[in-house]
Amino acid sequence: MLQSDINLGFLSDSERELILEVLRRDEELRQAEDQRIRKLKTELLDIKRRGAKRGSGKYSQRVCGRCLQPLSRLMVVSCQCRLCHHYVCHSCRTPVGPKDSWLCSVCAMESDLKKRTGDWFYDQRVNRFLASPAPDLVRSSMKNKPAPSEYRKRKWVSTQSLTYSQPSGTCYQRVQENNMKNVKYVKLFQQEIRESTVSPEMDVDRLFKKSVKGTQRTSGMCSLSIIFTNILIKVIPSSVLFSEYTSTLDLRNEPDSPPALVVTRSKSVPGLDEEEEEDEDIDSLVSFHRSNMASSSSSLNSSKSTLGSLMSIYSEAGDYDSVEVSGDLVFSIRYDEHTQSLHVFIKECHGLAHGDSSRKQSNPYVKCYLLPEKSRQSKRKTSIKRHTVNPVFNETLKYTISRAQLCSRSVLISLWHHGRFSRNVFLGEAEIALDCRDLDFPTEETVILMSKTPSSVAVFAQYKGELVISLKYVTPKTQTPMKIKEGELHVLIKEAKNLVAVKMGDTADSFVKGYLLPTKGKSTKRKTPVVKKNLNPHFAHTFVYKEVGLEQLKEMCLELTLWDREAMSSNEFLGGVRLSSGKGKEEVEMDSVGEEVSLWQKMMQYPDSWAEGTLPLRSTMGKSKEKLDLLNK
Amino acid sequence: MTDGDYDYLIKLLALGDSGVGKTTFLYRYTDNKFNPKFITTVGIDFREKRVVYTASNPNGTTAGKTFKVHLQLWDTAGQERFRSLTTAFFRDAMGFLLMFDLTSQQSFLNVRNWMSQLQANAYCENPDIVLIGNKADLADQREVQEKQAKELADKYGIPYFETSAATGVEVDKAVITLLDLVMKRMEQCVDKPSAEPANGMGVAKLGASQTNEKKCAC
Repeated sequence: MLQSDINLGFLSDSERELILEVLRRDEELRQAEDQRIRKLKTELLDIKRRGAKRGSGKYSQRVCGRCLQPLSRLMVVSCQCRLCHHYVCHSCRTPVGPKDSWLCSVCAMESDLKKRTGDWFYDQRVNRFLASPAPDLVRSSMKNKPAPSEYRKRKWVSTQSLTYSQPSGTCYQRVQENNMKNVKYVKLFQQEIRESTVSPEMDVDRLFKKSVKGTQRTSGMCSLSIIFTNILIKVIPSSVLFSEYTSTLDLRNEPDSPPALVVTRSKSVPGLDEEEEEDEDIDSLVSFHRSNMASSSSSLNSSKSTLGSLMSIYSEAGDYDSVEVSGDLVFSIRYDEHTQSLHVFIKECHGLAHGDSSRKQSNPYVKCYLLPEKSRQSKRKTSIKRHTVNPVFNETLKYTISRAQLCSRSVLISLWHHGRFSRNVFLGEAEIALDCRDLDFPTEETVILMSKTPSSVAVFAQYKGELVISLKYVTPKTQTPMKIKEGELHVLIKEAKNLVAVKMGDTADSFVKGYLLPTKGKSTKRKTPVVKKNLNPHFAHTFVYKEVGLEQLKEMCLELTLWDREAMSSNEFLGGVRLSSGKGKEEVEMDSVGEEVSLWQKMMQYPDSWAEGTLPLRSTMGKSKEKLDLLNK
Repeated sequence: MTDGDYDYLIKLLALGDSGVGKTTFLYRYTDNKFNPKFITTVGIDFREKRVVYTASNPNGTTAGKTFKVHLQLWDTAGQERFRSLTTAFFRDAMGFLLMFDLTSQQSFLNVRNWMSQLQANAYCENPDIVLIGNKADLADQREVQEKQAKELADKYGIPYFETSAATGVEVDKAVITLLDLVMKRMEQCVDKPSAEPANGMGVAKLGASQTNEKKCAC
């Protein structure tokens, strides 16, 4: 727990009971509050997305910053929002406070939300106390030896309040046990490698590091593949091999894996392009590969299920055929209090598409994920029905999970055609949110199957929290006429909000790392100190980049990434932002969008004053096409 | 009750010596009833009430917007033995009803102690508080004079009310005044700091420099 427990040994049993009852009532209230807040935040995100200035990169004073309607000349004088400094038209203003003061619609909503969610309060409280609220503290103090499930539940409660303002679908984390498993598998895997003959004396980690550090990405891949081949040979006939290793390599707990094959894959590897000195990033890369390989090697070891699993990893990476989606699915979902598990009952489907178009038939099966976790651990499948487009499954897929965890989750049910000698074919899917369902008295439901939603905003698809920063360009002092054009860029890293811990119920020891691209090396690398055990860390730390010209900044890109410091292993990537004008030379990553662009512009527009902004964190620092092409080879 | 159909969840907390009438005060406020029996509170408890809050404009006219506010009113045990438990709950409250018994000089003297407890354990060093002298109906047993209490409240810069849970006098007003303070602080916290971006680099506590407006440390 976050805080030392309070001594409650003096309470009698009946007193305990009474207090626990009060806490239970309080939890009810908090859960309702939590849902309300999630709804509010979703609304804001909606409005923000709809708002202009996102991705356009343009910043004209003649156009309303919100609705992009042209502004009349007269208005330009008096139509700047005092918070975001966007020029907005009359209809995009919201009157606030006394007199005639107003804010633009987004700023107004943001500050309104800060009130409605209670963030104004929690922002202050966090300065004095670690975030765990009293009821959790008391509860944990009361029970010395809680039952495992009970324990997890409690943990969740405290996370809930830590991250309580997250919108739905954000609690992305693996359950503890799975991690334990992974560790086990890593060991297994290492053993495996030592046994396999290639390089018995070589340490696995070093091997990986080496291969990743290799300047040529392809050579790195090769050495990895060698390792793989060696393991795989033991289990499967070699014919399957070569196609498999790539997908294994890139297997991730991808929160959302859109069809675009390589795009997401490479994006999901933070810092793929780091240079050699990038210790922590490589670490994370390696650890990431390691765990993936580890888990897949485990299934290789285990049984026949291997092949099937690999197939689905394959399809997860986007390598599958698709057809025009049709048909519907009949299912029901209930929660079994007794076994503490979620039961997804798959009844039947009607009128599915033909997976095998030449023979006009399908061999359908259902695959199910308990989102946001889209990993092997969260995957369940039914059996395969042969030669039918109206399959009857009558199968129950079960997830052991505490009830409290359910409300932020959803069930993704997808239908697949099992191609025996060909690739699997995606037949349709449906996502069912769990927060507004009656899980005690389930009714049978029919949903229309949908095709996969294209995720153009994949980088932001997963809520990772926000980063609050201030930028200031300091113009050069006149005493140094020699360097007239070179000033300083000050980057004040204020705080991050609602970070998503890598593991559920955990906090993060986070720090921010910054680069001023195009130079990605020691000279532009900056780091904040680590803020421990906090998902809303206050950094209050300034990066200073000296001798930068205002003109240069237009071509530059400030990349800030958040990391979870792991003392004994590699650091974990928590999210990042990329600030730039959104357009520039090819070699610089200028894929900034929305606030990332406007804040950068604002900084350049108003030298010597602070431009403050709250930026949503990218879940990956995905890169542009060249990189993908490289990977594609 | 907890259907989420409200605009704000505001958490207040009542504290003070044992027997000053915190529980009956809250019971009067939420249910408008009076229970003369003394049942000591075990550790903590809370009551809820939905109220409509009208934001009053600074120029005095009350033609502001109205909001639905869900009040969670924490009731704490006054008994010393629960102290470690109750103070833990201070941090979760946005405003405080600091109560004493008008018929007990000792409970009034202890107000100072409660104040320092608050300063140490509330979400910030100077949270919103109202001072409440309860049991105003028992005029013949009165030990604390209004002037005395008023002076103390002025010293702390907080409002003072003499209430009676038995008759209901001033009960609503005391709570609403506190709610008003909390709502005002909320407005300030959100609207003020962003009006001018923080300057200075590496400031240890952001905003510590922006507190000139009021006691609010956001």
